[in-house]
Amino acid sequence: MSKTFPLYDTTKSNEWYARAVKVIPAGVYGHLGSAEGLFIPVNRWPRFAEKAQGSYFWDVDGNRYIDYMCAYGPNVLGYNDPDVDAAALEQLKLGNCTTSPGKVMVECAELLTDTVATADWAFFAKNGNDATQGAILTARAHTHRKKLIFFKGFYHGVSPMVQKIDYPGVTPEDVANNIYLPWDNIELFKQTVEENKGEIAALIAQPYDHGNFYDNKYPMEGFWKEIRRICTENEIVLIIDDVRAGFRLDLQGSDHYFGFEADIICFCKALANGYNMSAFCGKDFLKGAAAGLSYTGSYWMSSVPFAACIACINKMKAIDAPALFRKLGTELTEGLKKTAAENGFDLVVSGAPALFYLRIANDDSLMLHQEWIAECVNRGAFFASHHNHFINASLTHEDINLTLEIADDAFKTVAKNHPELF
Amino acid sequence: MTDQKTMAYINLYAVLGTLENLCELAPEASALLKNKKPISIGFDVKGGPSATLTFANGRCRMEQGCDKCQVKLPFSSPEKFNGLIDGTVTPIPSKGFTHLSFLLKQFTPLTDLLNKYMRPDPEDLKDPDFFRISTTLMLYTIGVAIAQIGNNDEIGKFSASNIVDGSVKLGVKDGPAVEIRCKDHRLLALKHVPETFRASMMFDSIETARALFEGTVNALECVGTGKVEMRGLASMLDNVNRILDRVAIYLA
Repeated sequence: MSKTFPLYDTTKSNEWYARAVKVIPAGVYGHLGSAEGLFIPVNRWPRFAEKAQGSYFWDVDGNRYIDYMCAYGPNVLGYNDPDVDAAALEQLKLGNCTTSPGKVMVECAELLTDTVATADWAFFAKNGNDATQGAILTARAHTHRKKLIFFKGFYHGVSPMVQKIDYPGVTPEDVANNIYLPWDNIELFKQTVEENKGEIAALIAQPYDHGNFYDNKYPMEGFWKEIRRICTENEIVLIIDDVRAGFRLDLQGSDHYFGFEADIICFCKALANGYNMSAFCGKDFLKGAAAGLSYTGSYWMSSVPFAACIACINKMKAIDAPALFRKLGTELTEGLKKTAAENGFDLVVSGAPALFYLRIANDDSLMLHQEWIAECVNRGAFFASHHNHFINASLTHEDINLTLEIADDAFKTVAKNHPELF
Repeated sequence: MTDQKTMAYINLYAVLGTLENLCELAPEASALLKNKKPISIGFDVKGGPSATLTFANGRCRMEQGCDKCQVKLPFSSPEKFNGLIDGTVTPIPSKGFTHLSFLLKQFTPLTDLLNKYMRPDPEDLKDPDFFRISTTLMLYTIGVAIAQIGNNDEIGKFSASNIVDGSVKLGVKDGPAVEIRCKDHRLLALKHVPETFRASMMFDSIETARALFEGTVNALECVGTGKVEMRGLASMLDNVNRILDRVAIYLA
């Protein structure tokens, strides 16, 4: 017997949004907002959170959501993880943002270099964009070259140089040295390197194609090995943007997971379970270039996030987090596919189980998918319309079962709304 | 960051092309054409667009090319043609001298009327019919301008290169709409309500549409408040919206 769930009332969320829009551009700008976050339709989604715990957050109306976005990644162990929070609070009593950085920064760098396969050093900042930008600057400083290769579908942050020519505020000059190539085309990569010999500073890429709006794709067999070889032969710095996938596939880095070594690897989301920090780590030959950068920030060496990071990484090691994420992600996505099929839906799951991407393929417009996602969200399972999701370590078998029951109710509702299709 | 060639395409297809809809929607426009013999005027821009406007039975239609026009207005460059729209260039026909009176007595008043609806006096907008016609014409002009920018402007072409095949519906709930059809990254705007589409961006009212066109409200805020509803292939909308941003630069 399938279960039905009441629809959430989001009145207070909308009231807070009405206040927000008066004093904050777009009310909530960026990926957490309704436009970029694709809240379709907006009245079915929460806008503001009241509190969070483990795999759940509660909105300002008091509705509880199983959170499969995990704050878009940072929630890796569960909200308010007691071990991470205890380490952070202990450090807070000692000091946080101080004139001399705390020694905990050194301990954090030592842990990262011991953990991450390619890391001989670690450079700390705050957001993923700081890490990717720092990596590119390091590559350019080292090579004295200006061109960069990107794989289409990329997202490497918000600096003008990694945005696109048609984005607001970006000038043609900002992106004049960017070369965009399709994912998984080694021949074209080879040819491009040949045509720009001695001019390419770096390739910056995600470890697999986890772009938005389309099914995520793993690299074809031998792809990274060959790209690594070409980069090495041509002295192109190979940067892996592991901001999104980092530590969810492999604690040694996603390059290690795919069997190659990056020259620089960028981390952020899963580093410290929500405490704000990022890092880019690199090989020894790039350490001097990184040292010479004019690149710093008021909060980049704050101690609390370092303490949280150490506790977070140690705990991820202790529980073998990547294996747990694979197991939980597989259980969830297999269950979702089965539930979809039972209701006549073709649910396509792609990407790593820890970062699963969902798409209903019954229509070619994704409108059915958007309707199903909204029905899930409005019943308490928070998925995103067109972004990969995130598994966190506090997720339980019971949480997954509840999610599948909500998904089933949502599928049935969408099917009922479309008698012409089902 | 605009270019004259793209501007010429916009001026011809999006601005003068809206005469089609003006004659349909505004009674005073069709009245100007009443009991007049059919006539066609060709605009031939060297290094740019070419199209013919045909006026017959109180209606107007635009077609590509000007091989069969009765009055031909040649322009030596996109800049010269854009000068016609700005009022800084007076065209000299290369054929059809016997029909010149139409240019003066009907065509110029029609373009003046178009201007009245496209750049209206705030007082005129208090009339609901005027408001509706004016906003509908703006929607059509913007829709066609999106296609022209996506096909001609360098940055617009980059956006179009990321649009997959299919149609986007852009319009007002229970009101007028345009279909932006994409095939192999070339865009075509059709001024009608499409039956099928892969993505849509709908304004909840004609008032919201106008406020957005005039820039008095923010589009992202309207998405947040539900005054603008997006559905379907978000990547199509994302890239059409990037071109839409450029429409304001050209039509400012």
